[in-house]
Amino acid sequence: MKEPPLSSLRGFVTLHVTGPQVERFINAVTGAGIIIWDVRPAGDGASLNLLLDDFFSLRPLLKQTGCRMHVTARHGLPFRIARLWKRKFFAAGVLVFGVGLLLLSSMVWSVKVEGNTRIPTEDILEAARREGVYPLQWIWRMKESDELSRELTSLVPGLTWAGFHRTGTSITIQVVEADRPEQKPLLSQRHLISRTDAVVTEIYAEQGRPVVSRNSRVKKGDILISGALGDEENTEFVVAKGNVKGLVWHEYKLEVPLQRTGSAYTGERKDRTYLVLGKWAVQLWGYGDSGFDKSRTLTEPDMLSWRSFELPLGLMTEKELEVKYTTEALTPEEARTEGLTRAKSDIFARYGADSVIKSQKILHEKKENGKVYMKVLFEVEERIAEELPIVNN
Amino acid sequence: MTRIGRRLRGWTNGVLDLPQDVLQEMPRITLIGNKELYIENHRGVLHFSSEQLRLALVKGVLEITGEELVIRNILGQELAVIGIISEIRYKESGENP
Repeated sequence: MKEPPLSSLRGFVTLHVTGPQVERFINAVTGAGIIIWDVRPAGDGASLNLLLDDFFSLRPLLKQTGCRMHVTARHGLPFRIARLWKRKFFAAGVLVFGVGLLLLSSMVWSVKVEGNTRIPTEDILEAARREGVYPLQWIWRMKESDELSRELTSLVPGLTWAGFHRTGTSITIQVVEADRPEQKPLLSQRHLISRTDAVVTEIYAEQGRPVVSRNSRVKKGDILISGALGDEENTEFVVAKGNVKGLVWHEYKLEVPLQRTGSAYTGERKDRTYLVLGKWAVQLWGYGDSGFDKSRTLTEPDMLSWRSFELPLGLMTEKELEVKYTTEALTPEEARTEGLTRAKSDIFARYGADSVIKSQKILHEKKENGKVYMKVLFEVEERIAEELPIVNN
Repeated sequence: MTRIGRRLRGWTNGVLDLPQDVLQEMPRITLIGNKELYIENHRGVLHFSSEQLRLALVKGVLEITGEELVIRNILGQELAVIGIISEIRYKESGENP
């Protein structure tokens, strides 16, 4: 053991003892049970260390042995505290700084919201404020994050989940918004009327009052499903909705030529490449005549561009493709089939693809000037309803 | 100590084979190289300088000579000396003060 335990904490002093008999002094000190260490001869005496607690019981021993002493060094915490006490405002400043740093770093400084698109950030922040999460709030006063997230989810309508995440002094609220059902477009009150003269084959009113029944004849503009409910005195208007189908006759006048001309590429081609400078084009490759009888030319400019700017500099490719025209003769049968097909596709395009052609009748057919002329009557089951807004005066 | 007591001690010592310092207040001196010296059961410092250290014993004087001698600590009857120790002389009943 070199020195007593915690000597630096209890404080110790280095003494220089002079006198006629330093050895006697040492013996006396030892006899008194005082611990001394690092005794070394110095000058005409000796220097030694002893604890601060023992220092004051030294005086009678010194008197006894006729020695004198003076303190050469002071070590340990008590002396440091005493020195610090001389600069108490400095020490207080250090303390205040430390405490301030601790307090400021245990405060919420910023709250951020992430993941919201529909719900305004302010609403979520307001709800979080009511739950005690706001800037300049003490971090230790906040509730547990799972409790917070549960309460915030119930507080803000339209939230599926909210998560709190704290990094240092900033808090991130991660939210997931609830999916909402699709909103239906608003419709004005209306009747459904007939678009054309027809015989009703099917009527189904989703909303409103069906006026006509199956197999009844309707004229153009007749009300099929009424949007007016109730009697004359008490009327309420609704949006008539439903599905009405009816038989409609369409008369088609068709003319189909007996010759069909078509064109096809033969596969032969000739490319020409040009260098484009502003308005001018300089041919680079593909000089010479293509030698094609009939041809079609496709031009593809390929301008240099940098980001969104197109430079007046680039390449242009011209493709000359040889074309062959063909003529095909049709028999009257084929011409008729083609005319009917064309008429049917026209019906489907005009009156809806769910139209059904119930029957077709060729009323008249003649061949003249290389064409087949036909008059065809189609009986088609199609949607006949049309909207008519109700205007209240 | 009475004569009987002293004889009893001597006898116990002979029978039990105990070390002398335990029974007869003799110093136990431990020397580590020539650097450190531990002395137990001394009876005070007679002289202390950086070249010489004289210790009183129950019987006699212990004289330690060397260079840069420092008493590392004194605790009751224990004493540790460090420095370069060149000579240890044991004078039995010399000039006992």
